Amino acid sequence: MNDLGSGTYRLIIGTRTLAIAAFLLLIASPIALAVFRLIGVAGANPRAWIETLDGNYMSAGAIEFTFLQSIISSFATISLGLPVAWMLGRYEWRMQSMIRAVLTVPFVMPSIIAAMGILTLTGDSALGIRSNEGTWFWTLIIAHAWFNMSLVIRFCEPILATLDPSMEEQLRLLPAGRTISGRIRHLWLPVLIPPLSASFCMSFVFSFTSFALVRWITIRDNTLESVMAISSPSAGIEGYMAFTSEIVLASSLIQFAVLSISLWLASRIQRELQRQYPMAPARVARGHFDYGWVFMAPALLFSIAPIVSVAIGSVRVRTVESGRAADTWSLDGWELARDGSFSMVPLSDAMANSILYAIISLAISMPLGYCIASAIHSLERTNRRMSEALDFATMAPFAFSAAMIGLGVTLGVTKLDPTAFSQFWPLPALAHVMLTTPFAIRIMLTGLRSIDREYDEAARVLGMGPLARLTRVRIPLMKGPITVAAIFCLAMSLGEFGASFIVATNSDWATLPLLADSWRGMPMNPLAEAASNAVATALAVMAILLFAVAERARSNERGGMF
Amino acid sequence: MNFKNETRKIGCTKAAALTIILMTAAVSGCLSSESEDDNSLVIVTYDVYALSDDMISTFENRTGIEVEMVKLDDSGSILSYLIQQKGTGANDLAIGLDNTYLQTAIDFDLLSESKTDIQGISSEAYSPYEGKLAIPFDMGHICLNYDSSIVDGVNLSVPTSLWNLTEEEWKGKVAIPSPMSSSPGRGFMLATLDYFEYTTDSYNGFDTWWSSMRDNDVIITPGWSEAYEIHYTGGYGEYMPGYIGDAHITVSYCHSPGVEAWYNGNWTKSASLNLDRASFFQVEYASVVQGGNAENADLFIEYLLSQEVNALMPTQNMMYSVLEGQDLPEEGGYRHHSIVPDQNANITSMAISLNIDAWLDRWNSAMTEGE
Repeated sequence: MNDLGSGTYRLIIGTRTLAIAAFLLLIASPIALAVFRLIGVAGANPRAWIETLDGNYMSAGAIEFTFLQSIISSFATISLGLPVAWMLGRYEWRMQSMIRAVLTVPFVMPSIIAAMGILTLTGDSALGIRSNEGTWFWTLIIAHAWFNMSLVIRFCEPILATLDPSMEEQLRLLPAGRTISGRIRHLWLPVLIPPLSASFCMSFVFSFTSFALVRWITIRDNTLESVMAISSPSAGIEGYMAFTSEIVLASSLIQFAVLSISLWLASRIQRELQRQYPMAPARVARGHFDYGWVFMAPALLFSIAPIVSVAIGSVRVRTVESGRAADTWSLDGWELARDGSFSMVPLSDAMANSILYAIISLAISMPLGYCIASAIHSLERTNRRMSEALDFATMAPFAFSAAMIGLGVTLGVTKLDPTAFSQFWPLPALAHVMLTTPFAIRIMLTGLRSIDREYDEAARVLGMGPLARLTRVRIPLMKGPITVAAIFCLAMSLGEFGASFIVATNSDWATLPLLADSWRGMPMNPLAEAASNAVATALAVMAILLFAVAERARSNERGGMF
Repeated sequence: MNFKNETRKIGCTKAAALTIILMTAAVSGCLSSESEDDNSLVIVTYDVYALSDDMISTFENRTGIEVEMVKLDDSGSILSYLIQQKGTGANDLAIGLDNTYLQTAIDFDLLSESKTDIQGISSEAYSPYEGKLAIPFDMGHICLNYDSSIVDGVNLSVPTSLWNLTEEEWKGKVAIPSPMSSSPGRGFMLATLDYFEYTTDSYNGFDTWWSSMRDNDVIITPGWSEAYEIHYTGGYGEYMPGYIGDAHITVSYCHSPGVEAWYNGNWTKSASLNLDRASFFQVEYASVVQGGNAENADLFIEYLLSQEVNALMPTQNMMYSVLEGQDLPEEGGYRHHSIVPDQNANITSMAISLNIDAWLDRWNSAMTEGE
C-alpha cells in the first residue's frame, strides 16, 4: 500500500469506514432503540417476558409450534429436494438450465405468492382439502418445502453434477464400495452431508421466521414471527397493554438466539462445502436416465403449480345465485385490483411503491454492501481478526427476522420522530435496506474472494491506481456477483412482507405483497380473492423477470443460496 | 500497515460521527413532511366502509380541503397509533374508536373537544358517552348469531342461557373472536362480564364459563372474519374459499342476519340470540385529535353526521345510523331479520378503561389455566 498516494488511500479507507459506520447505524441503531423502548415498558426481566409469551392466550404454544413446524418443514424440504437435486445433478437433461431455473424459482417468489398460491391450490376449486382444518399443518409443511426446496438444489446439485465419476468407479472396485449402501456410506454421505446440513439449517431459519404462510395457512397457530407482527401495534407504549411488549421481547430474544445458532452452524458447514473434491466437467459427470422424466415432471409441476394457480385464481370469480356457488371466468378481479377501492390502493400505486422502495434499497444496499465487502476482503490479508469480527457483525442482521426489523424501524425511528411513522413515505425502504444489505455483502464478498488476486496485482504492477483497478479490473470481474446481488436486493425488496406489514401503516404506502394480503382479507366481497390473486400474479411476473436476469448472471460452479 | 491503524490515522471517530449526524438528520426532523397546510385533513381510521371514495371526494369538492387517510387494522390499532403519535400534531381526526377504547384514549389525553353542535343524534347513541371529545357516527349491538337451519330445536337446542354453550351438544361448535385482537370479541367478553354479574364482589361465573367453554373446545379466532367466514355455518362464509363450517353459533352483530338477508333477496338462515345482558351496545366515534387541525376535523364530523351521509350507514357501513328517527331499511328483509336486544350488558366506558387490563388477564387465565 505504500505505492498508493496517501490521498487516495485515505479516500478508500474513509469510504469504507463511513460505510461500516452507516451500516451499523442503519442496522443496529433502530433495533437498539426499539429494544430500549420495549424494555422501558416491559422491564428488563427476560424470564417474565417468556412467561408472558407462554402464558398469554394470544401467543401460547407459539414456541412449540415454531420449533415443530420448522424442524418438520426442514426434513420435508430435504426429503423432497434431495431426489430432485440428484436427478438434476447426476443426469443429462434437455434444457438443463431451464429445468434448473423452474425448480429453483420458488425461492425467489415472495412469500405472499406462495401463500396465495397454496391457498388457491388447496381450496375447493382445486384439491378441496382446505375445509379440513386437520390438513392445515401439513399444508404449511408442504408450502415451506416448496419454498425451500431450491435451497437443497442450489447447495447439492453443483457437487453432484461435477463430482469426478472416477471416484465412484474406483470405489466400486473396493470391497467397501461394492454395494449401494457401501457407496452411500463411503462416498455420497461424506460428499452430501455438508450441503444437506447447510440447506437444512437455512430451511430451518426460513421456516422458523415464516409469517405470510402461517398467517394465511394455519391461521390460529402462530409462529414467534407472526406473534410479533400481531402484537406490534400496541408494543412499546408506556402504560398500555404492557404484555404485548413482553411478548415481542420474548419472541425476539428466542428468535435471535435460535437464528444465531442456526446461521453459525450453516456458515461453518458452508466452509466445509469449500473442501475440494475431484471435479469433472458436468457433461462428463452426468449420466443418462431414460425414464428420468417420470421423476422430473412431477417435480417441475410441483414447482410451478402454486404460481400457476395464482394466475388462474386471478380470473376465476365465485358467484352465488339462489344459495348456490359457482365459479365463472372473468377479468373482474383484475379490474377491481386495477381500480382499487376506497380502502385499497390501485394496483399501479402499489406497483409504483414496490418498485420505488426496491430502487431505494438497491441504491443504498449495493454501494454500502460493496464497500463493506471490500473492507472485509482487504482486511483478510492484513488483519484476520478484525476481518472476522467485521464479517461476523455483517452476518448478525441475518439473525433478525423481518418482523424484528419492522419493529426496529417502527419503534426505533419513531422514537426519534413519531411523525415519520405516518408521513415519511420512504420509511418502509429503510426496513428493506436493513434486510437486503447483509445479503448484498455476502454475495459480493463471495465474488471478491473468487477473483484471482493476480489480476489485481498485475494491474498494480502496470501502474494502475486503486480507482482504475476498481473500475477496470475488479468491477468487470465482479459483474456476475454484482448483478446477482442487485437482482437479489430488488427481488427481496419487491417481495418483502413481514417488515412492511408492520412499517407501512399508511395505506398509501401499500406494496404489492401488502395489497395482495389486504385484498385477501377483505370480507364480504366476492371479487376479493380474484383481486388478491391478480396482485400476486403481477408480483410473480416481476419476480420471474428478475430471476431470469439473475440466472443469466449467476455462475453455478459453486454451491450456495445465490 | 494494517487497516486498523490506518483507520485510526484518518480519525474514524470523525467519520463515524459525521455519518451519525447525517443519518440522524435523515431519520429525524428532515424526513417528516408534516403538513402545515390549513387545507388538509389527516384522518386516522380503519376500513370504515362509509368512508368511500365518493364520500371523500364530495367532501373535498365542497370544502376545498384535501383529505389524507391513514388506514389501520381496527379500533385498537387506532388507539395504539394515536398514543404513539401523541403530541406530534400530525393527525387531525380519528374515526373508528369505539366505546371499548374511547375512555383509554381520553385518559391518555389524545382527543380534543369538538366545537360542532350537531343536532339530531339519538339519545341511544349518546348513552355510552355524552361529552364532546367523541361524536358518535354509527352503532350496533354485538351478540351471538346462530344458524337457524341447524339450531332448530331438533338438531341443536336454541340456547336460553350462556351456560347451554358449555354443554356437550355444543362441543366444538361455537366460534368466538378473541377479545385480545378483535373489537366484536372484546365487546362480547365485556358482555359476559355483566352477564356473570361483575359488579358483585366475586364474579367467578365469568372465569368458570370461559374455562368451561375452553374445555368444550370453543373456537377462538384472531378476528371476526375468521370466526364468521371460516367457521360459522349460518353466514355467507359457506360460499367463500377456505370455509370450514364447524360452528353453528358465533359472535357478530344483532343486525348481521339482516345484512345477510339484504344481500340474499330477503333470505337468511342466520338469526340473532336475544339473551339478556349477553349483548354489548357498541358505538363508534369520530374524534378531533389533540393538536390537530380542529376546524377541518369538525367540518368533516359535520359532514359525516349529515343526513345525506349518516342515513346511509346501514347500507354503506352495515351499521345503524346514529341520527334520530333513522332505522334499518325495510328492503330485502334487512330490518325484519335484525333484532334489538331487550337488555344489553350494562358496563360503562369508565369501568372498561379502569379494568380492561385486569379483565383481559382474567380472561387469559381462564382460557389458559382454567379458573
